[in-house]
Amino acid sequence: MTGALQSMRNITLAGALGAFALVAACSDNFLTGGELSTDPNRPTQATSAQLFVGVQASTWAELSSDMARVTGMWSQQLLGTNVQYVDLYHYGVSEQITNGFHSALYTGGGLVDIRRLEQQTAAAHDSVFHGVAEVMEALLMGTGADLFGALTYTRALTNDQNPPLDPQLAVYDTVQVLLSRAIVELGATGPTNAGPGVSDLAYGGDASKWIKLAHTLKARFLMHTAEVRPTVYATVASEAKVGIVDAADNFNAVFSGNAQEQNFWYQFDVVQRPGYIAPDPQFVALLKERTDPRLTTYFNADASDLSDARLAPDAPLPLVTANEGLLLWAEGLQRSGNDAGALTRLNQGRALAGLPAEAGTPTGRALLSEILLEEYIANFQSIEAWNLYKRTCTPNLTPVVAGKKIPARFPYDISERNTNTSIPPLSAQPARNANDPANTVSDGTGAACVGQ
Amino acid sequence: MLRLQFRWCRALASAALLAAPASLVAQAATVTGHVASEGGAPLAGVTVSIPGLGVGSATREDGQYTFTVPATRVAGQSVTLNARRVGYTPQTVTVVLNAGTITHDFVLVAAVHELEQVIVTGAGTSQVRERVGSVINTVDSTALTRATQPQNVISSLAATAPNVRVNTQSGEPGASAFVIIRGATSVTGTNQPLIVVDNQPIDNTTLSTNGGDGSTVTQNRAADINPNDVETVQILKGAAASAIYGARAANGVILITTKKGSNGPTRYAITSTQTFDNVIKTAPLQTAFGQGSGGNAGACTAADCNATSLSWGAPLTAGAPVFDHGKEIYHTGLTSDNAISVSGGNQRTTFYLSGGLTDQLGVMRGGNNRYDRSTVKLSATHQLLNTLTFGGNFSYFNTTGEYVQKGSNTSGLLLGALRTPPDFNNQPFLDPISGLQRSYRFPHPTAASTTDSRGYDNPFFVLDNSANRSELGRFLGSLTASWVPTTWVAFNETFGADNYTDSRIEALPLTSSSDPVGSVTRFQITNLEIDHNLTATLSHAFGSNFDSRVVLGQNLNSRRNRQVYVFGDQLIAPTPLALQNTVSFTPTETRSLRHVAGYFGQAELDVYNQLHVTAGVRDDGFSTFGASHRTAAYPKVDAAWTFTNLVGNGGWLSNGRLRAAYGETGREPGAYSTISALSTTALFGSGFGDFIGTKQSGQGGLVTGGNLGNTDLKPERNREAEFGADFGFFHQSSDLSVTYYNKRSTDVILPVPVNAAATGAASALVNGATISNKGLELVANVKPYSSRLVDVTLGGNYGRNIGKVESLFKGVQFIPYNVEGFVGSGGSSTVGYAPGVIRGQDFVRCGRGEKVTLPGVGALANVDSACGAGAKKGALYISGVDNQPVVNPDEGVIADPNPRWTAGLNGQLRIGRVQFSTLFDMRRGGQVWDGTRAALDRFGTAAETNVRTSDGVFGQNILPGEAVAGPGAGKVAFHSLSDWQTWFTTTGGSAGDAQAQFVEDGSFVKWRELSLVYTADQPWVRSHFGVSSALIRVAGRNLHTWTKYKGLDPETNIGGAEFLTQGFDFFQNPQTRSFVVAVTLNR
Repeated sequence: MTGALQSMRNITLAGALGAFALVAACSDNFLTGGELSTDPNRPTQATSAQLFVGVQASTWAELSSDMARVTGMWSQQLLGTNVQYVDLYHYGVSEQITNGFHSALYTGGGLVDIRRLEQQTAAAHDSVFHGVAEVMEALLMGTGADLFGALTYTRALTNDQNPPLDPQLAVYDTVQVLLSRAIVELGATGPTNAGPGVSDLAYGGDASKWIKLAHTLKARFLMHTAEVRPTVYATVASEAKVGIVDAADNFNAVFSGNAQEQNFWYQFDVVQRPGYIAPDPQFVALLKERTDPRLTTYFNADASDLSDARLAPDAPLPLVTANEGLLLWAEGLQRSGNDAGALTRLNQGRALAGLPAEAGTPTGRALLSEILLEEYIANFQSIEAWNLYKRTCTPNLTPVVAGKKIPARFPYDISERNTNTSIPPLSAQPARNANDPANTVSDGTGAACVGQ
Repeated sequence: MLRLQFRWCRALASAALLAAPASLVAQAATVTGHVASEGGAPLAGVTVSIPGLGVGSATREDGQYTFTVPATRVAGQSVTLNARRVGYTPQTVTVVLNAGTITHDFVLVAAVHELEQVIVTGAGTSQVRERVGSVINTVDSTALTRATQPQNVISSLAATAPNVRVNTQSGEPGASAFVIIRGATSVTGTNQPLIVVDNQPIDNTTLSTNGGDGSTVTQNRAADINPNDVETVQILKGAAASAIYGARAANGVILITTKKGSNGPTRYAITSTQTFDNVIKTAPLQTAFGQGSGGNAGACTAADCNATSLSWGAPLTAGAPVFDHGKEIYHTGLTSDNAISVSGGNQRTTFYLSGGLTDQLGVMRGGNNRYDRSTVKLSATHQLLNTLTFGGNFSYFNTTGEYVQKGSNTSGLLLGALRTPPDFNNQPFLDPISGLQRSYRFPHPTAASTTDSRGYDNPFFVLDNSANRSELGRFLGSLTASWVPTTWVAFNETFGADNYTDSRIEALPLTSSSDPVGSVTRFQITNLEIDHNLTATLSHAFGSNFDSRVVLGQNLNSRRNRQVYVFGDQLIAPTPLALQNTVSFTPTETRSLRHVAGYFGQAELDVYNQLHVTAGVRDDGFSTFGASHRTAAYPKVDAAWTFTNLVGNGGWLSNGRLRAAYGETGREPGAYSTISALSTTALFGSGFGDFIGTKQSGQGGLVTGGNLGNTDLKPERNREAEFGADFGFFHQSSDLSVTYYNKRSTDVILPVPVNAAATGAASALVNGATISNKGLELVANVKPYSSRLVDVTLGGNYGRNIGKVESLFKGVQFIPYNVEGFVGSGGSSTVGYAPGVIRGQDFVRCGRGEKVTLPGVGALANVDSACGAGAKKGALYISGVDNQPVVNPDEGVIADPNPRWTAGLNGQLRIGRVQFSTLFDMRRGGQVWDGTRAALDRFGTAAETNVRTSDGVFGQNILPGEAVAGPGAGKVAFHSLSDWQTWFTTTGGSAGDAQAQFVEDGSFVKWRELSLVYTADQPWVRSHFGVSSALIRVAGRNLHTWTKYKGLDPETNIGGAEFLTQGFDFFQNPQTRSFVVAVTLNR
């Protein structure tokens, strides 16, 4: 009996050990699949329309948040009146002041998603949407070149250890190529060329408006190189001519006014940092002197702050306007010797701003001065006012800190410099960009330039 | 519910395993006897067993025990019969097992050093203490009951074991406890250990609803456990001890074993504890100067006027009413804790059934701070077959709490209270006419001000808010099966689940200063953890001198977490404080699922009953590891040599043992950190708060996420060696244990910035950092005198840990923790310091080779030469321009909150039936940034601002205790009240850059406990009251604190266990002092 019991025990035991081994050896997909391998909180696929909405939001921030405010102070349209803005106003330049707007050229909503959008729209054979994406890329990288100068571009997003910087003028050249190609693609027809449709928050998918925008951007970025390439003026004029010349075609950042969809200036000046900025009295005086109706559209009654209309949560922010286009046209004509044509375009621009036509027929420097001042005023709240000043030393601004020059570029982000040996330390970075040698005289007055 | 998605083969195999056939029946043996103490008194609760057969029972109240050995296992063999009870030296005898009755009586000797105590070593394994080569500290239930914060099982570990550092956030009901074992090993996360209850891992997350700095206190989830159900807590400290838990064990493991029933008569225990709590200390405030600025009164009288926030006004006239705003918000809190348990069993079945009710009403007035917990528990085992025993542990916890807004929060209690000028009466807190909140900064609210900020909330208005609540239901259960088919092999299975839903609301009514339009936050957390742990233990003796044992195991674990957070902004009507009464909602949903498949094996060899060696390995597969590192192996080896078994234990040395251990543990990456994904929550704008989202004008947008997933991510790894020795003296009446350890943590995960132009992302998680922790631990117990009438026991422990971040990542010197602390005094991990240090700015100091711009001297001046010869190293440089110190623009580490050493000291004295106990808790070092004082200096309510009428000289009456040097040293810097106000409201207060001036030494000695227990177990107790014994306990807790710290308490922290960086004092509530009366009835 004991023997039988023993053998039964042994059988049981062997079975149990076998089962145990089976349990232990069961290799399966216990560690992968489903919510184990897929993040249930974050999507990994996006439609072109969804990417484009993100790209627009990111671009609006790049063009009209802190960069526009700080350059507004440096071009002396605004005062910095509190805490960090006092320091920025006094040219306190450090690697932190860009607030990440250098790396934002590349991160989510920036180049990485524009490229993704370009790939997706190309795969879908949607030339119109592809053209739109190229215009966005040109606007973003051209603006990046304006702010920072040389940029990582041809080797961008390649996961290179230390991607090199392309020379600034090479970036502008690429921008022109992109825009030329986009203009062709935006004219495409056929069933696959659906375009962005309602995801296009500025133009509602109207390709003809994108074509105009592309031309005006060509004029803008060509003009930014004019200081070192004086032959571009005629092309500036011819591009501006077929660009945005009607205010109905203005390229605006639009805001619904809901949470996280509000005008940046409203958020900054009304909600987050009231009292940090104020209108610069010199700029206010200039508008008064010219009896410019924009005195009351830009500013409130006592010119102590921006106007309520400009500080509404849903106020659109102009990024590229007919006024800018007409004045680029005018300046291009004037600089290539056509004063009469230039005056016509200047007066068109003045009319848009509610100003009467120029008294008399100014020519030469007098006309140029009028055009440049008009550009300076028209580009309030835009980086373009500062770009104009850098290029033309007009108006001939006196630096607010004696002995200092008005800053002519932003340093690269510290995070980018720390992670890329191709970016020199701040002390070795140039004070001015390649497109923008210091002016000896103010283009508008001919007097010695004091701020550069 | 249990959707573990096991493959069929596993289920089938498990079924086969458990369906083993039964054995036959024949003539049984009955083992019986009596157990008594040296003094002859019967000992109850002594476990008498034959370990080789897995049978036994516990003695009854009369010391008798009886159990039966099934006939199939009775073969005339010699077996060891074992008698053990906590606090006594166990005894083993050999008996011959024959059919019939075998009688054996034991007399047990009391001992403090328990070599033969069986301790749980994790993942279903156990071992006698003497054979374990690594340190496992054991805390028994009596120590837990006596703890300062007995309601929270983690808090109650304070001062019980060396290098187990426990910080309880505050004395508020529901405050969390932070525990860190042998230093932090990671720079992300809060380094809290794994908590395992009866072999089932449980969740111990601390998750604040709206950020640890503000919001309200939040429990650490292990606080749900009813401490009355806890039998012992064992702390696996080193990597060798905890390697069996693999990649979840980097921060150590706390094993909680709950009470079980045993063979014998049914026992009943009823305990009722009433605790009266008071705040220990309130903030020192001045009562001489009123609201105002520059010495002028600053109250305002117009409707809806805004008055100054400062108390830099005119001196108050004698007899004018003043209010102590630190004290008036508190009263006596009451905690009522009632527990009942019934336990017992027979030879085949045991059970333990308990229920607990804890109602804690906090020390803050208003009745809206409370924490109530109800628990029920059933543990039972049944021996189905002679070889097969099933069991189960089932607990249900229900906790509800009401909390008060705290901390860095303009609607927080103390922030408004302590800033209120002494001459302002915060009562009534509602304006008698408008019925709206009035505060010292907004004293005359009209009906037009329903959505206007009050500057800071009136503390009584804060206390009146009853809308910060949590309601939690939690189920913790496990099924166990134990199958011992023959003497040399045993199988054990634990299959359990921990499941809770925490439903919270946090609402701010209209006129709340931090959100005047009102808001409602709903937060719901659901967590489910399922664990399967199967072990096979094979033992074999090679002759009489070699014992071996092999344990093989499998562990499968699944953790599922769901969080739904909805922020409802802007109240429509003043009440109800509910989501549907808000204008707009922002929802966030977060889900995660993590699986673990671990296999472990360990082999143990015992040689000549003196050398014991264990070697093991755990191979862990985690779903959170990168695809290229799907599994990771964690080896361990330890050895213990009881040398006195070789050389003899003559004389005073009764036992001596040397041990050495090496082990590896890990820490898994966060869920989904290997994945690069798109973001719906990216924001575009500047650091000034102007942002837009990806979604615009009704169009959904998506962008590339800012953080790159890293598919190569592997677990962090700790390698730890420890060496130690244990000695028992004078027949085990005294002991000493010494341990040294050296732990190195590599592959520590941290976010590093990446080049955006190259990658399109801003950061990536990498295995980059290295951290070291070295330390020394001492434990000693002495029983200097013992007789039938009097027993004296003294014990102490000492722990020292030196932690250091050796490196982070190339070029990275520190990682800031932006959610921990403040701008100017923020949490960080910095190379060269232990993880969790505070960074900020200091003044320029002499003797450090600093080169900074000094007013009147020049740019980048040599500070040391400006200080002049003979300046003390570290002295403040005092400028000759204004006779004030100069702020150093460079930022660095200003405070290290990690203590240099900690110690606990306890003593027990028994005289007859009266037992006295006491406990002291010591901390040396550990700096605290006293941000509360920084703010109160600025607002002029701190007592130390009374100095405002004197001339001010640095190093004398301003920043006293600081050495000074330089041209302005010793000269008068402040001549008037306005000078003082300027200093305190700018550089010298919370608005200043040099926050290092508010860093203080947080060393303390706390008298944690003094108690007296009278045990009535005389015959008349039974005859008159029908109970076998009655215990009456009177105790005081947190009786006194000796510290130089100027603020409320160096132990508190603004964020609880959700912060790695401790040592922030900013308007959190103080600890409490308690008086306790408890009665226990046993039958």
